[in-house]
Amino acid sequence: MNLYFLQVVNGIGIGMIYFLLAVGLSIVFGLLRFVNFAHGAFYVLGAYACYQLMQLGLNFWLALIVGPVVVGLCAWLVERLLLRKVYDLPHEFHILFTLGLAMAIQELVILYWGPVGFNVAPPDSLKGVVMWGSFIYPKYRVFLILFTAVLAVAIWLLLERTRLGSIVRAGSESPEMVTLLRINVYKIFGLTFALGAWTAGLAGVLAAPLRGVEPFMGIEALAVAFVVVVVGGMGSFSGALLGGLLVGIVQSVMTTLWPQGASLMIYVAMALVLLLRPDGLMGRAQ
Amino acid sequence: MTALLCKHKDLLLAVLAVLILPWMLKSGSLASEVLIFALAALGCNLLLGYAGLLSFGQGIFFGVGSYALGILLTRTGMPMPAVLLTAVVAGAVVAGMVGWLAIRQKGIYFVMLTLALTQMFYFIAYSTPEWTGGDNGLLDIPTLPLTVFGHTLLPNKTAWDYYVFVAILFLLVFWALQRVVDSIFGRTLLAIRDNPARCTALGYDIVQFKLLAFMVSGAVTALAGALYAMMTGIAPLTSINYHMSEVILLITVLGGTGNLVASVLGAAFYVIVSDWLSYMWPRWLLVFGFLLMAVSLYLQGGLWGACKLLFARLRPTAAAAQRGEEHP
Repeated sequence: MNLYFLQVVNGIGIGMIYFLLAVGLSIVFGLLRFVNFAHGAFYVLGAYACYQLMQLGLNFWLALIVGPVVVGLCAWLVERLLLRKVYDLPHEFHILFTLGLAMAIQELVILYWGPVGFNVAPPDSLKGVVMWGSFIYPKYRVFLILFTAVLAVAIWLLLERTRLGSIVRAGSESPEMVTLLRINVYKIFGLTFALGAWTAGLAGVLAAPLRGVEPFMGIEALAVAFVVVVVGGMGSFSGALLGGLLVGIVQSVMTTLWPQGASLMIYVAMALVLLLRPDGLMGRAQ
Repeated sequence: MTALLCKHKDLLLAVLAVLILPWMLKSGSLASEVLIFALAALGCNLLLGYAGLLSFGQGIFFGVGSYALGILLTRTGMPMPAVLLTAVVAGAVVAGMVGWLAIRQKGIYFVMLTLALTQMFYFIAYSTPEWTGGDNGLLDIPTLPLTVFGHTLLPNKTAWDYYVFVAILFLLVFWALQRVVDSIFGRTLLAIRDNPARCTALGYDIVQFKLLAFMVSGAVTALAGALYAMMTGIAPLTSINYHMSEVILLITVLGGTGNLVASVLGAAFYVIVSDWLSYMWPRWLLVFGFLLMAVSLYLQGGLWGACKLLFARLRPTAAAAQRGEEHP
């Protein structure tokens, strides 16, 4: 029993990383109206930024701040220089552009850091375990759950309580209406794209001490983010949270029950949710 | 005579491609690879160029074809044509199941679901090593000759023998798909792509149409996968992973959508250039990443579109006359 409890708590930690990935994807989709296939690549960049900054002797906390910001800046530049040119084209080309970007980033990562992955040590202050009676748990994972919970609240406040958030939410409902209210939606596209990349980068930095870094981790992350969005319902904050936790817990618990099929069960769970609720758990019918 | 030539222009171009390839390439297996990936791209093109479905799941069908052929050829004594046919049917059935889940979802969910399901099938192949060989893949798949009642029609012994076999199947499929896209069914797909709401209002069940297109695409892609497995003698995990879907989509987009010859052009370009680049530089995929970005930004018609532009530049009147009968 204790083992399963442990796996559920593990799942919450992983699930919060999935939530971060999915919420970024959702924000970008909400306003820009396309699925960003480079989202996984931004996650990889975040993870490698963490690795690189720690190699340079900076501590984890600085990497946690600097890494995602660097990733966000890269995304902002890409949006400014290239991505805006595809907005007028049919929808497929937005996706195909980001797919090309994802391929290019993955190859550049391999080119610079090599195809073999690295381990990233958690910071010294988070090494070791905490003990509550008979319950023993790694400190880093405790930090992960607490930190991502705070982040989730911050992102929720950003989306619900700020002007930028209300424009993003309104823009995802009806961009035309927002434009009619004399708000230039296109102006904040770059900012939104960078914000999405920032969450992916942050997820990457947080995941690095858990699973190490390797160039192909982006594809897995992208697929899982899609699963979370499909399960939770696109454009819904609570859906991303619920979906992320569900996927994380399913994966984690299945690791004990059927290690080889743990990743498979995520997708089986997705198929089941789709059969029962085609619009996702929290999604509204379109 | 000219009218007949014009009517079968695309098929003639495909025949021309089949004849030119042996003359251009030294390796028979490379030439077969071009046609095999052209088949896969044809399947993807039917969806992207005609039904307006950006499918990220083409690798599923390629892999299903590879594994179906591999399992049947290594474990049973079924004759080779029956095995190929079974692989094709398996592709269509799996496409039916994937499509049934994904096509009911609108727009953006479709793309995401096809990618998620690609991962799902990858993990199915990975977690059932007793069938698929898991990480190692299926090995020692024989390349069998084509025999009918004991008479050997095609020996399939050398790489060029196999090319002949692949070329015949390729031309048959090309002809059939050309018939499909020129039929009322193909025209209806175009209509659904351009205006789904109006098609629904006219009484077309657009989900049924898309599902049927998806199954045809799955069947063609599975044939490509099966032929590829028989050529290489293995069905590895890489034939069903994310990267396979990516490559098929890349070839289709590089070639151009909405015209079947474009996919052949894309496949020839991708296979030949990647073969050439991979000798020089292990990270050749980077070039294709930038190419895909460039095509999305500046050349949405792909290589076929570029050829058309060039043609129009060279012969303005002929191109103008031709434009009337082109696929939109």
